Amino acid sequence: MFKSEPKTILQFLATHFELLRELFDIQSKNEFITKSQVTNTLKDFGNDIEEQLFEHKLLIEQNDDYVINEPYYILFEFVLQQFKPLLPEEIEKFGQSIRELFKNIKESIDNDKNLLLARIEALSNEIKKFTTAVKNNTASLLNESRELKANTRKIEYQEKVHKARYLIDNYIIPLNNILDINHSQSIYNELDRISQYTNNRRFDYADELIRRQFEKLYNLLRQVIKDINQQSTILSNELLPLIERIKTESEYLQGFLLYLTNGNCYKTIKPPEIFNTSRDNLYSLYIYESTKLYFDQFKNEEEVIIDDNDNTILDQWIFNRSEYKNTLNENLPVKDFFSWCQDSIGNEKKDFSIDNYFMVTSLLFEKEYEVKFDKGSKAISVKTDQGELIMPKLELTKKEDVSK
Amino acid sequence: MYPNKHKQIVTALMEGKFITVDEFYFDILKDNQAFYLEFFKESFDFELKGTQEYFYLLSADTNENTSRDISIFFAIFCYELDKDGKNFIDELTFSEFHIDQIIEYFKNSGWSDIIKANKSLNSAENLKKLLGNTMTKRNIAKKHSDEKYTFTKAYKLFIEFARELINSEKNKANA
Repeated sequence: MFKSEPKTILQFLATHFELLRELFDIQSKNEFITKSQVTNTLKDFGNDIEEQLFEHKLLIEQNDDYVINEPYYILFEFVLQQFKPLLPEEIEKFGQSIRELFKNIKESIDNDKNLLLARIEALSNEIKKFTTAVKNNTASLLNESRELKANTRKIEYQEKVHKARYLIDNYIIPLNNILDINHSQSIYNELDRISQYTNNRRFDYADELIRRQFEKLYNLLRQVIKDINQQSTILSNELLPLIERIKTESEYLQGFLLYLTNGNCYKTIKPPEIFNTSRDNLYSLYIYESTKLYFDQFKNEEEVIIDDNDNTILDQWIFNRSEYKNTLNENLPVKDFFSWCQDSIGNEKKDFSIDNYFMVTSLLFEKEYEVKFDKGSKAISVKTDQGELIMPKLELTKKEDVSK
Repeated sequence: MYPNKHKQIVTALMEGKFITVDEFYFDILKDNQAFYLEFFKESFDFELKGTQEYFYLLSADTNENTSRDISIFFAIFCYELDKDGKNFIDELTFSEFHIDQIIEYFKNSGWSDIIKANKSLNSAENLKKLLGNTMTKRNIAKKHSDEKYTFTKAYKLFIEFARELINSEKNKANA
Protein backbone atom coordinates (compact mmCIF):
# COMPACT_ATOMS: atom_id res chain seq x y z
CA MET A 1 0.00 0.00 0.00
CA PHE A 2 1.16 3.50 -0.81
CA LYS A 3 1.19 6.08 1.92
CA SER A 4 0.93 8.83 -0.70
CA GLU A 5 -1.82 9.81 -3.07
CA PRO A 6 -1.30 8.70 -6.72
CA LYS A 7 -1.39 12.32 -7.85
CA THR A 8 1.36 13.19 -5.35
CA ILE A 9 3.53 10.41 -6.77
CA LEU A 10 3.05 11.61 -10.34
CA GLN A 11 3.80 15.17 -9.24
CA PHE A 12 6.97 13.88 -7.53
CA LEU A 13 8.01 12.17 -10.77
CA ALA A 14 7.51 15.39 -12.73
CA THR A 15 9.32 17.61 -10.18
CA HIS A 16 12.35 15.35 -9.84
CA PHE A 17 12.38 13.99 -13.37
CA GLU A 18 16.03 14.92 -14.12
CA LEU A 19 17.28 13.23 -10.97
CA LEU A 20 15.21 10.13 -11.66
CA ARG A 21 16.46 10.06 -15.22
CA GLU A 22 20.03 10.06 -13.95
CA LEU A 23 19.22 7.04 -11.77
CA PHE A 24 17.51 5.39 -14.74
CA ASP A 25 20.64 5.91 -16.88
CA ILE A 26 22.83 4.41 -14.17
CA GLN A 27 20.64 1.33 -13.96
CA SER A 28 20.40 0.99 -17.73
CA LYS A 29 24.17 0.88 -17.88
CA ASN A 30 24.96 -1.21 -14.79
CA GLU A 31 21.79 -3.23 -14.12
CA PHE A 32 21.62 -1.82 -10.57
CA ILE A 33 22.37 1.36 -8.59
CA THR A 34 24.79 1.27 -5.70
CA LYS A 35 24.05 3.05 -2.43
CA SER A 36 26.88 5.51 -3.04
CA GLN A 37 25.56 6.24 -6.54
CA VAL A 38 22.19 7.13 -5.03
CA THR A 39 23.85 9.38 -2.43
CA ASN A 40 26.05 11.07 -5.07
CA THR A 41 23.16 11.67 -7.45
CA LEU A 42 21.07 13.21 -4.68
CA LYS A 43 24.05 15.40 -3.74
CA ASP A 44 24.58 16.46 -7.39
CA PHE A 45 21.00 17.62 -7.64
CA GLY A 46 21.08 19.17 -4.15
CA ASN A 47 17.96 17.30 -3.14
CA ASP A 48 17.14 15.56 0.07
CA ILE A 49 14.42 13.25 -1.16
CA GLU A 50 15.92 9.85 -0.35
CA GLU A 51 13.05 9.04 1.96
CA GLN A 52 10.39 9.75 -0.67
CA LEU A 53 12.17 7.52 -3.18
CA PHE A 54 11.43 4.58 -0.92
CA GLU A 55 8.08 5.87 0.27
CA HIS A 56 6.79 6.01 -3.32
CA LYS A 57 8.43 2.63 -3.94
CA LEU A 58 10.53 4.12 -6.70
CA LEU A 59 13.64 2.36 -5.47
CA ILE A 60 13.68 -1.11 -4.01
CA GLU A 61 16.52 -2.89 -2.37
CA GLN A 62 18.30 -5.68 -4.15
CA ASN A 63 20.97 -7.32 -2.02
CA ASP A 64 23.13 -4.39 -0.94
CA ASP A 65 22.17 -2.22 -3.92
CA TYR A 66 19.06 -0.66 -5.37
CA VAL A 67 17.02 -0.99 -8.51
CA ILE A 68 14.19 1.14 -9.87
CA ASN A 69 10.91 -0.64 -9.27
CA GLU A 70 9.92 -2.39 -12.52
CA PRO A 71 6.65 -0.52 -13.30
CA TYR A 72 8.53 2.78 -12.99
CA TYR A 73 11.44 1.45 -15.01
CA ILE A 74 9.07 0.45 -17.83
CA LEU A 75 7.40 3.87 -17.60
CA PHE A 76 10.79 5.59 -17.96
CA GLU A 77 11.78 3.35 -20.86
CA PHE A 78 8.53 4.25 -22.54
CA VAL A 79 8.55 8.02 -21.96
CA LEU A 80 12.25 8.28 -22.83
CA GLN A 81 11.90 5.80 -25.69
CA GLN A 82 15.08 4.19 -24.45
CA PHE A 83 14.53 0.50 -24.53
CA LYS A 84 17.10 -2.03 -23.76
CA PRO A 85 17.23 -4.38 -26.71
CA LEU A 86 15.69 -7.73 -25.94
CA LEU A 87 17.59 -10.85 -26.75
CA PRO A 88 15.95 -12.95 -29.45
CA GLU A 89 15.21 -15.60 -26.83
CA GLU A 90 13.18 -13.02 -24.90
CA ILE A 91 11.15 -12.21 -28.00
CA GLU A 92 10.92 -15.85 -29.04
CA LYS A 93 9.23 -16.69 -25.72
CA PHE A 94 6.23 -14.64 -26.92
CA GLY A 95 6.34 -16.69 -30.10
CA GLN A 96 6.23 -19.90 -28.09
CA SER A 97 3.27 -18.83 -25.97
CA ILE A 98 1.47 -17.56 -29.11
CA ARG A 99 2.01 -20.94 -30.82
CA GLU A 100 0.92 -22.86 -27.73
CA LEU A 101 -2.25 -20.82 -27.21
CA PHE A 102 -3.19 -21.05 -30.89
CA LYS A 103 -2.68 -24.82 -30.82
CA ASN A 104 -4.92 -25.11 -27.75
CA ILE A 105 -7.59 -22.89 -29.30
CA LYS A 106 -7.70 -25.07 -32.42
CA GLU A 107 -7.71 -28.34 -30.50
CA SER A 108 -10.43 -27.41 -28.01
CA ILE A 109 -12.47 -25.17 -30.25
CA ASP A 110 -15.71 -26.96 -29.45
CA ASN A 111 -15.07 -27.65 -25.75
CA ASP A 112 -15.39 -25.29 -22.83
CA LYS A 113 -16.63 -21.90 -24.01
CA ASN A 114 -15.20 -19.93 -21.08
CA LEU A 115 -11.79 -21.50 -21.47
CA LEU A 116 -11.86 -20.67 -25.17
CA LEU A 117 -12.72 -17.05 -24.40
CA ALA A 118 -9.89 -16.85 -21.85
CA ARG A 119 -7.46 -18.33 -24.38
CA ILE A 120 -8.48 -15.90 -27.12
CA GLU A 121 -7.93 -13.03 -24.68
CA ALA A 122 -4.60 -14.43 -23.57
CA LEU A 123 -3.54 -14.85 -27.20
CA SER A 124 -4.46 -11.21 -27.93
CA ASN A 125 -2.39 -10.08 -24.94
CA GLU A 126 0.63 -12.13 -25.98
CA ILE A 127 0.39 -10.78 -29.53
CA LYS A 128 0.25 -7.22 -28.19
CA LYS A 129 3.26 -7.85 -25.95
CA PHE A 130 5.12 -9.41 -28.87
CA THR A 131 4.40 -6.42 -31.13
CA THR A 132 5.47 -3.95 -28.45
CA ALA A 133 8.66 -5.93 -27.85
CA VAL A 134 9.48 -5.97 -31.58
CA LYS A 135 8.77 -2.26 -31.99
CA ASN A 136 10.85 -1.34 -28.96
CA ASN A 137 13.64 -3.60 -30.08
CA THR A 138 13.81 -2.18 -33.58
CA ALA A 139 13.80 1.35 -32.15
CA SER A 140 16.55 0.61 -29.66
CA LEU A 141 18.68 -1.27 -32.19
CA LEU A 142 18.29 1.58 -34.63
CA ASN A 143 19.41 4.04 -31.96
CA GLU A 144 22.35 1.88 -30.96
CA SER A 145 23.45 1.39 -34.56
CA ARG A 146 23.13 5.06 -35.42
CA GLU A 147 25.07 6.03 -32.32
CA LEU A 148 27.69 3.49 -33.18
CA LYS A 149 27.88 4.78 -36.73
CA ALA A 150 28.24 8.38 -35.64
CA ASN A 151 30.56 7.21 -32.88
CA THR A 152 29.00 9.68 -30.45
CA ARG A 153 30.75 7.99 -27.53
CA LYS A 154 34.13 8.40 -29.30
CA ILE A 155 35.04 4.80 -28.76
CA GLU A 156 38.07 3.22 -30.37
CA TYR A 157 37.28 1.39 -33.50
CA GLN A 158 38.14 -2.12 -32.23
CA GLU A 159 35.45 -1.68 -29.62
CA LYS A 160 33.14 -0.28 -32.27
CA VAL A 161 33.70 -3.29 -34.52
CA HIS A 162 33.18 -5.60 -31.60
CA LYS A 163 29.95 -3.86 -30.66
CA ALA A 164 28.66 -3.83 -34.23
CA ARG A 165 29.36 -7.52 -34.62
CA TYR A 166 27.72 -8.22 -31.27
CA LEU A 167 24.57 -6.33 -32.31
CA ILE A 168 24.46 -8.07 -35.68
CA ASP A 169 24.98 -11.59 -34.40
CA ASN A 170 22.89 -11.46 -31.25
CA TYR A 171 20.09 -9.05 -32.03
CA ILE A 172 19.66 -7.92 -35.59
CA ILE A 173 19.98 -11.18 -37.53
CA PRO A 174 17.82 -13.17 -35.05
CA LEU A 175 15.20 -10.40 -35.07
CA ASN A 176 15.25 -10.51 -38.84
CA ASN A 177 14.63 -14.26 -38.71
CA ILE A 178 11.69 -13.78 -36.35
CA LEU A 179 10.13 -11.30 -38.77
CA ASP A 180 11.18 -13.06 -41.97
CA ILE A 181 8.19 -13.61 -44.26
CA ASN A 182 10.07 -16.22 -46.24
CA HIS A 183 10.89 -18.36 -43.23
CA SER A 184 8.03 -20.83 -42.59
CA GLN A 185 8.76 -21.09 -38.85
CA SER A 186 8.97 -17.33 -38.25
CA ILE A 187 6.54 -15.73 -35.81
CA TYR A 188 5.38 -13.51 -38.64
CA ASN A 189 4.12 -16.55 -40.54
CA GLU A 190 2.55 -17.98 -37.40
CA LEU A 191 0.59 -14.74 -36.98
CA ASP A 192 -0.42 -14.96 -40.59
CA ARG A 193 -1.81 -18.47 -40.02
CA ILE A 194 -3.69 -17.29 -36.91
CA SER A 195 -5.11 -14.41 -38.92
CA GLN A 196 -6.46 -16.79 -41.58
CA TYR A 197 -7.93 -19.04 -38.93
CA THR A 198 -9.66 -16.21 -37.02
CA ASN A 199 -10.92 -14.79 -40.28
CA ASN A 200 -12.83 -18.03 -40.86
CA ARG A 201 -13.97 -18.38 -37.28
CA ARG A 202 -15.36 -14.87 -36.99
CA PHE A 203 -18.04 -15.98 -39.46
CA ASP A 204 -18.13 -19.65 -38.71
CA TYR A 205 -18.84 -20.25 -35.03
CA ALA A 206 -22.14 -20.94 -33.34
CA ASP A 207 -21.69 -18.65 -30.33
CA GLU A 208 -21.98 -14.97 -31.08
CA LEU A 209 -19.81 -13.81 -28.17
CA ILE A 210 -16.97 -16.02 -29.37
CA ARG A 211 -17.49 -14.88 -32.95
CA ARG A 212 -17.12 -11.33 -31.71
CA GLN A 213 -13.89 -12.23 -29.85
CA PHE A 214 -12.52 -13.80 -33.01
CA GLU A 215 -13.51 -10.65 -34.87
CA LYS A 216 -11.57 -8.52 -32.34
CA LEU A 217 -8.57 -10.82 -32.56
CA TYR A 218 -8.72 -10.71 -36.35
CA ASN A 219 -8.74 -6.90 -36.36
CA LEU A 220 -5.85 -6.85 -33.92
CA LEU A 221 -3.89 -9.23 -36.12
CA ARG A 222 -4.47 -7.14 -39.22
CA GLN A 223 -2.92 -4.17 -37.44
CA VAL A 224 -0.10 -6.27 -35.96
CA ILE A 225 0.86 -7.77 -39.32
CA LYS A 226 0.94 -4.27 -40.79
CA ASP A 227 3.12 -3.06 -37.89
CA ILE A 228 5.48 -6.00 -38.16
CA ASN A 229 5.83 -5.47 -41.87
CA GLN A 230 6.81 -1.92 -41.13
CA GLN A 231 9.38 -3.07 -38.57
CA SER A 232 10.71 -5.60 -41.03
CA THR A 233 11.07 -2.83 -43.63
CA ILE A 234 12.98 -0.66 -41.16
CA LEU A 235 15.18 -3.62 -40.41
CA SER A 236 15.96 -4.47 -44.02
CA ASN A 237 16.04 -0.92 -45.40
CA GLU A 238 17.82 0.88 -42.64
CA LEU A 239 19.28 -1.32 -39.97
CA LEU A 240 20.89 -4.03 -42.07
CA PRO A 241 22.53 -1.58 -44.55
CA LEU A 242 23.67 0.56 -41.62
CA ILE A 243 25.30 -2.41 -39.97
CA GLU A 244 26.69 -3.60 -43.30
CA ARG A 245 28.27 -0.17 -43.75
CA ILE A 246 29.83 -0.32 -40.27
CA LYS A 247 31.18 -3.75 -41.16
CA THR A 248 32.69 -2.52 -44.46
CA GLU A 249 34.20 0.52 -42.83
CA SER A 250 35.61 -1.64 -40.11
CA GLU A 251 37.29 -3.80 -42.75
CA TYR A 252 39.06 -0.73 -44.10
CA LEU A 253 40.05 0.33 -40.60
CA GLN A 254 41.26 -3.11 -39.67
CA GLY A 255 43.36 -3.04 -42.84
CA PHE A 256 44.80 0.36 -41.94
CA LEU A 257 45.58 -0.88 -38.45
CA LEU A 258 47.34 -3.93 -39.81
CA TYR A 259 49.32 -1.70 -42.16
CA LEU A 260 50.29 0.83 -39.53
CA THR A 261 51.14 -1.52 -36.71
CA ASN A 262 54.21 -3.70 -36.17
CA GLY A 263 56.23 -1.38 -38.38
CA ASN A 264 54.88 -3.28 -41.34
CA CYS A 265 54.19 -0.21 -43.39
CA TYR A 266 57.94 0.24 -43.67
CA LYS A 267 58.96 -3.37 -44.01
CA THR A 268 56.99 -6.36 -45.11
CA ILE A 269 53.86 -4.88 -46.63
CA LYS A 270 54.24 -3.30 -50.04
CA PRO A 271 51.91 -0.36 -50.76
CA PRO A 272 49.80 -0.30 -53.94
CA GLU A 273 51.85 0.04 -57.11
CA ILE A 274 51.83 3.47 -58.72
CA PHE A 275 53.53 4.82 -61.82
CA ASN A 276 57.12 5.80 -61.52
CA THR A 277 57.57 9.09 -63.32
CA SER A 278 61.22 8.60 -64.18
CA ARG A 279 63.31 11.45 -65.48
CA ASP A 280 64.65 9.28 -68.32
CA ASN A 281 64.06 10.51 -71.83
CA LEU A 282 61.57 8.59 -73.83
CA TYR A 283 64.14 8.40 -76.67
CA SER A 284 67.42 6.46 -76.75
CA LEU A 285 70.30 7.48 -74.52
CA TYR A 286 72.54 7.48 -77.62
CA ILE A 287 70.27 9.68 -79.69
CA TYR A 288 72.97 12.36 -80.09
CA GLU A 289 75.60 9.95 -81.43
CA SER A 290 73.09 8.20 -83.64
CA THR A 291 71.83 11.47 -85.12
CA LYS A 292 75.39 12.67 -85.71
CA LEU A 293 76.24 9.42 -87.44
CA TYR A 294 73.14 9.71 -89.61
CA PHE A 295 74.00 13.20 -90.82
CA ASP A 296 77.72 12.42 -91.19
CA GLN A 297 77.00 9.86 -93.86
CA PHE A 298 75.75 12.65 -96.16
CA LYS A 299 78.74 14.91 -95.57
CA ASN A 300 81.10 13.40 -98.14
CA GLU A 301 78.50 12.38 -100.64
CA GLU A 302 79.41 12.77 -104.29
CA GLU A 303 77.60 15.32 -106.34
CA VAL A 304 74.76 13.87 -108.32
CA ILE A 305 73.94 15.34 -111.72
CA ILE A 306 70.66 14.53 -113.30
CA ASP A 307 70.77 14.49 -117.07
CA ASP A 308 67.41 15.39 -118.60
CA ASN A 309 68.28 13.60 -121.82
CA ASP A 310 68.94 10.32 -120.12
CA ASN A 311 66.15 7.95 -121.24
CA THR A 312 67.09 5.09 -118.89
CA ILE A 313 64.12 5.73 -116.64
CA LEU A 314 61.70 5.85 -119.56
CA ASP A 315 63.04 2.52 -120.87
CA GLN A 316 62.38 0.80 -117.60
CA TRP A 317 60.13 -2.21 -117.96
CA ILE A 318 57.16 -2.37 -115.61
CA PHE A 319 55.59 -5.69 -114.80
CA ASN A 320 51.87 -5.56 -115.48
CA ARG A 321 50.78 -8.35 -113.21
CA SER A 322 47.10 -8.45 -114.08
CA GLU A 323 47.75 -8.52 -117.82
CA TYR A 324 50.22 -11.40 -117.46
CA LYS A 325 47.82 -13.21 -115.19
CA ASN A 326 45.00 -12.90 -117.72
CA THR A 327 47.22 -14.30 -120.46
CA LEU A 328 48.28 -17.15 -118.18
CA ASN A 329 44.64 -17.94 -117.35
CA GLU A 330 43.79 -18.06 -121.06
CA ASN A 331 46.66 -20.50 -121.71
CA LEU A 332 45.88 -22.87 -118.82
CA PRO A 333 46.79 -25.64 -118.42
CA VAL A 334 50.45 -24.75 -119.04
CA LYS A 335 52.71 -27.80 -119.33
CA ASP A 336 55.97 -25.97 -118.77
CA PHE A 337 55.46 -22.86 -116.65
CA PHE A 338 59.01 -21.48 -116.71
CA SER A 339 59.26 -21.75 -120.47
CA TRP A 340 55.89 -20.03 -120.77
CA CYS A 341 57.24 -17.17 -118.66
CA GLN A 342 60.30 -16.92 -120.90
CA ASP A 343 58.16 -16.81 -124.04
CA SER A 344 55.70 -14.32 -122.64
CA ILE A 345 58.28 -11.80 -121.43
CA GLY A 346 60.39 -12.43 -124.57
CA ASN A 347 57.47 -11.32 -126.73
CA GLU A 348 57.31 -8.02 -124.92
CA LYS A 349 60.96 -7.36 -124.15
CA LYS A 350 63.66 -9.31 -125.91
CA ASP A 351 66.58 -8.30 -123.65
CA PHE A 352 64.81 -8.98 -120.35
CA SER A 353 66.88 -9.26 -117.19
CA ILE A 354 66.76 -12.05 -114.58
CA ASP A 355 64.94 -9.64 -112.27
CA ASN A 356 62.28 -9.06 -114.96
CA TYR A 357 61.98 -12.81 -115.46
CA PHE A 358 61.51 -13.49 -111.75
CA MET A 359 58.76 -10.91 -111.57
CA VAL A 360 56.80 -12.94 -114.12
CA THR A 361 57.56 -16.27 -112.42
CA SER A 362 56.10 -14.91 -109.18
CA LEU A 363 52.68 -15.72 -110.71
CA LEU A 364 53.44 -19.29 -109.63
CA PHE A 365 52.51 -18.33 -106.06
CA GLU A 366 49.01 -17.14 -106.85
CA LYS A 367 46.52 -19.12 -104.80
CA GLU A 368 44.27 -20.22 -107.62
CA TYR A 369 46.89 -22.34 -109.40
CA GLU A 370 47.81 -25.90 -108.75
CA VAL A 371 51.45 -26.80 -109.43
CA LYS A 372 52.59 -30.26 -110.46
CA PHE A 373 56.17 -31.38 -110.73
CA ASP A 374 57.06 -34.14 -113.15
CA LYS A 375 60.02 -35.99 -111.63
CA GLY A 376 60.85 -37.86 -114.85
CA SER A 377 61.15 -34.82 -117.10
CA LYS A 378 64.35 -32.94 -117.83
CA ALA A 379 65.21 -29.60 -116.32
CA ILE A 380 64.75 -26.61 -118.55
CA SER A 381 67.19 -23.77 -119.17
CA VAL A 382 66.58 -20.04 -119.56
CA LYS A 383 69.40 -17.92 -120.89
CA THR A 384 69.75 -14.17 -120.54
CA ASP A 385 72.67 -11.76 -120.92
CA GLN A 386 73.27 -12.09 -117.21
CA GLY A 387 73.54 -15.88 -117.13
CA GLU A 388 71.66 -19.14 -117.36
CA LEU A 389 68.92 -20.43 -115.08
CA ILE A 390 68.33 -24.18 -114.74
CA MET A 391 64.81 -24.91 -113.53
CA PRO A 392 62.43 -27.86 -113.14
CA LYS A 393 59.56 -28.42 -115.49
CA LEU A 394 56.36 -27.43 -113.71
CA GLU A 395 52.81 -27.93 -114.88
CA LEU A 396 50.25 -25.31 -113.93
CA THR A 397 46.51 -25.98 -113.80
CA LYS A 398 43.52 -24.14 -112.39
CA LYS A 399 42.84 -25.25 -108.82
CA GLU A 400 39.52 -26.98 -108.20
CA ASP A 401 37.40 -25.00 -105.81
CA VAL A 402 37.33 -27.33 -102.80
CA SER A 403 34.48 -25.52 -101.04
CA LYS A 404 32.18 -26.30 -103.93
CA MET B 1 43.52 8.12 -86.30
CA TYR B 2 44.11 8.56 -82.60
CA PRO B 3 41.16 9.08 -80.24
CA ASN B 4 40.13 12.61 -79.39
CA LYS B 5 42.32 14.28 -76.71
CA HIS B 6 44.96 11.62 -77.23
CA LYS B 7 47.80 13.95 -76.36
CA GLN B 8 46.22 15.10 -73.09
CA ILE B 9 45.39 11.51 -72.08
CA VAL B 10 48.89 10.22 -72.80
CA THR B 11 50.61 13.21 -71.19
CA ALA B 12 48.49 12.98 -68.04
CA LEU B 13 49.03 9.25 -67.58
CA MET B 14 52.74 9.50 -68.33
CA GLU B 15 53.04 12.15 -65.63
CA GLY B 16 51.73 9.58 -63.15
CA LYS B 17 48.28 11.16 -62.96
CA PHE B 18 45.12 9.28 -62.20
CA ILE B 19 42.38 10.01 -64.71
CA THR B 20 39.23 9.94 -62.63
CA VAL B 21 35.59 9.65 -63.56
CA ASP B 22 34.87 13.35 -63.03
CA GLU B 23 37.27 14.34 -65.81
CA PHE B 24 35.93 14.81 -69.30
CA TYR B 25 38.51 12.57 -70.96
CA PHE B 26 37.75 9.64 -68.66
CA ASP B 27 34.97 8.57 -71.04
CA ILE B 28 37.22 8.84 -74.09
CA LEU B 29 39.77 6.67 -72.33
CA LYS B 30 37.09 4.19 -71.28
CA ASP B 31 35.62 3.97 -74.77
CA ASN B 32 39.08 3.33 -76.20
CA GLN B 33 40.38 1.19 -73.37
CA ALA B 34 41.49 -1.68 -75.62
CA PHE B 35 43.39 0.73 -77.86
CA TYR B 36 45.17 2.41 -74.94
CA LEU B 37 46.00 -0.90 -73.30
CA GLU B 38 47.81 -1.95 -76.46
CA PHE B 39 49.20 1.52 -77.10
CA PHE B 40 50.96 1.76 -73.74
CA LYS B 41 52.04 -1.88 -73.79
CA GLU B 42 53.52 -1.74 -77.30
CA SER B 43 54.99 1.76 -77.09
CA PHE B 44 56.47 1.78 -73.59
CA ASP B 45 55.76 -1.60 -71.99
CA PHE B 46 53.50 0.12 -69.44
CA GLU B 47 50.33 -1.37 -68.09
CA LEU B 48 47.12 0.64 -68.13
CA LYS B 49 45.01 -0.17 -65.09
CA GLY B 50 41.40 0.84 -64.86
CA THR B 51 38.35 0.64 -62.61
CA GLN B 52 34.88 2.09 -62.99
CA GLU B 53 36.16 5.26 -61.37
CA TYR B 54 39.78 5.81 -62.33
CA PHE B 55 42.59 4.87 -64.72
CA TYR B 56 46.32 4.94 -64.10
CA LEU B 57 49.54 3.64 -65.57
CA LEU B 58 51.95 1.14 -64.10
CA SER B 59 55.59 0.82 -64.98
CA ALA B 60 57.81 -2.15 -64.23
CA ASP B 61 59.33 -0.26 -61.31
CA THR B 62 56.79 1.24 -58.94
CA ASN B 63 57.33 4.40 -56.95
CA GLU B 64 57.17 2.61 -53.62
CA ASN B 65 58.15 5.54 -51.41
CA THR B 66 55.48 7.88 -52.71
CA SER B 67 52.86 5.16 -52.56
CA ARG B 68 53.82 4.33 -48.97
CA ASP B 69 53.56 7.98 -47.91
CA ILE B 70 50.12 8.29 -49.50
CA SER B 71 48.95 4.98 -48.03
CA ILE B 72 50.04 6.00 -44.54
CA PHE B 73 48.40 9.40 -45.05
CA PHE B 74 45.03 7.82 -45.89
CA ALA B 75 45.33 5.17 -43.16
CA ILE B 76 45.86 7.77 -40.43
CA PHE B 77 43.45 10.31 -41.89
CA CYS B 78 40.58 7.78 -42.15
CA TYR B 79 41.35 6.46 -38.70
CA GLU B 80 41.18 9.96 -37.22
CA LEU B 81 38.01 10.86 -39.12
CA ASP B 82 36.37 7.71 -37.79
CA LYS B 83 37.47 8.51 -34.26
CA ASP B 84 35.94 11.95 -34.72
CA GLY B 85 32.59 10.23 -35.35
CA LYS B 86 32.70 10.91 -39.08
CA ASN B 87 31.93 8.54 -41.87
CA PHE B 88 35.32 8.62 -43.55
CA ILE B 89 34.08 7.28 -46.90
CA ASP B 90 31.46 10.01 -47.13
CA GLU B 91 33.99 12.57 -45.96
CA LEU B 92 36.58 11.57 -48.57
CA THR B 93 33.92 11.49 -51.27
CA PHE B 94 32.01 14.68 -50.53
CA SER B 95 33.88 16.95 -48.11
CA GLU B 96 36.27 19.80 -48.57
CA PHE B 97 39.09 20.06 -46.05
CA HIS B 98 41.10 23.10 -45.13
CA ILE B 99 44.78 22.23 -44.91
CA ASP B 100 44.83 23.36 -41.26
CA GLN B 101 42.06 20.90 -40.48
CA ILE B 102 44.13 18.05 -41.95
CA ILE B 103 47.26 19.22 -40.14
CA GLU B 104 45.28 19.32 -36.89
CA TYR B 105 44.16 15.70 -37.31
CA PHE B 106 47.78 14.61 -37.76
CA LYS B 107 49.00 16.76 -34.89
CA ASN B 108 46.54 15.19 -32.46
CA SER B 109 46.79 11.67 -33.82
CA GLY B 110 47.65 8.71 -31.66
CA TRP B 111 49.92 7.45 -34.46
CA SER B 112 52.61 9.97 -33.57
CA ASP B 113 55.48 7.44 -33.86
CA ILE B 114 54.63 6.66 -37.45
CA ILE B 115 54.01 10.31 -38.28
CA LYS B 116 57.37 11.36 -36.79
CA ALA B 117 59.16 8.66 -38.77
CA ASN B 118 57.65 9.74 -42.08
CA LYS B 119 59.31 12.61 -43.91
CA SER B 120 56.14 13.53 -45.78
CA LEU B 121 53.96 13.69 -42.69
CA ASN B 122 56.20 14.81 -39.85
CA SER B 123 55.55 18.54 -40.13
CA ALA B 124 52.85 20.93 -41.30
CA GLU B 125 55.12 22.05 -44.15
CA ASN B 126 55.75 18.50 -45.34
CA LEU B 127 52.06 17.63 -45.14
CA LYS B 128 51.33 20.68 -47.26
CA LYS B 129 53.90 19.48 -49.79
CA LEU B 130 52.47 15.97 -49.86
CA LEU B 131 48.97 17.27 -50.52
CA GLY B 132 49.79 20.33 -52.59
CA ASN B 133 52.51 18.79 -54.74
CA THR B 134 52.63 15.01 -54.78
CA MET B 135 48.96 14.19 -54.40
CA THR B 136 47.70 17.13 -56.45
CA LYS B 137 50.13 16.39 -59.31
CA ARG B 138 48.91 12.81 -59.41
CA ASN B 139 45.28 13.96 -59.27
CA ILE B 140 44.61 12.15 -56.00
CA ALA B 141 43.81 15.46 -54.30
CA LYS B 142 42.50 18.68 -55.82
CA LYS B 143 43.61 22.03 -54.51
CA HIS B 144 40.99 24.76 -54.36
CA SER B 145 41.16 28.38 -53.37
CA ASP B 146 41.85 29.30 -49.77
CA GLU B 147 44.05 26.22 -49.17
CA LYS B 148 41.15 23.83 -49.31
CA TYR B 149 41.41 20.32 -50.67
CA THR B 150 39.08 17.65 -51.94
CA PHE B 151 39.96 14.11 -52.90
CA THR B 152 39.33 12.46 -56.24
CA LYS B 153 38.12 8.89 -56.60
CA ALA B 154 41.78 7.82 -56.80
CA TYR B 155 41.72 7.64 -52.98
CA LYS B 156 39.96 4.33 -53.42
CA LEU B 157 43.14 2.62 -54.64
CA PHE B 158 44.68 3.26 -51.22
CA ILE B 159 41.72 2.32 -49.07
CA GLU B 160 40.84 -0.75 -51.12
CA PHE B 161 44.44 -1.79 -50.57
CA ALA B 162 43.73 -1.81 -46.80
CA ARG B 163 40.62 -3.92 -47.25
CA GLU B 164 42.44 -6.43 -49.44
CA LEU B 165 45.18 -6.54 -46.83
CA ILE B 166 42.85 -7.55 -44.01
CA ASN B 167 40.91 -9.98 -46.17
CA SER B 168 44.05 -11.77 -47.30
CA GLU B 169 45.16 -11.87 -43.68
CA LYS B 170 41.82 -13.44 -42.69
CA ASN B 171 42.10 -15.96 -45.52
CA LYS B 172 45.58 -16.86 -44.36
CA ALA B 173 44.27 -17.38 -40.84
CA ASN B 174 41.44 -19.59 -42.11
CA ALA B 175 43.69 -21.65 -44.37
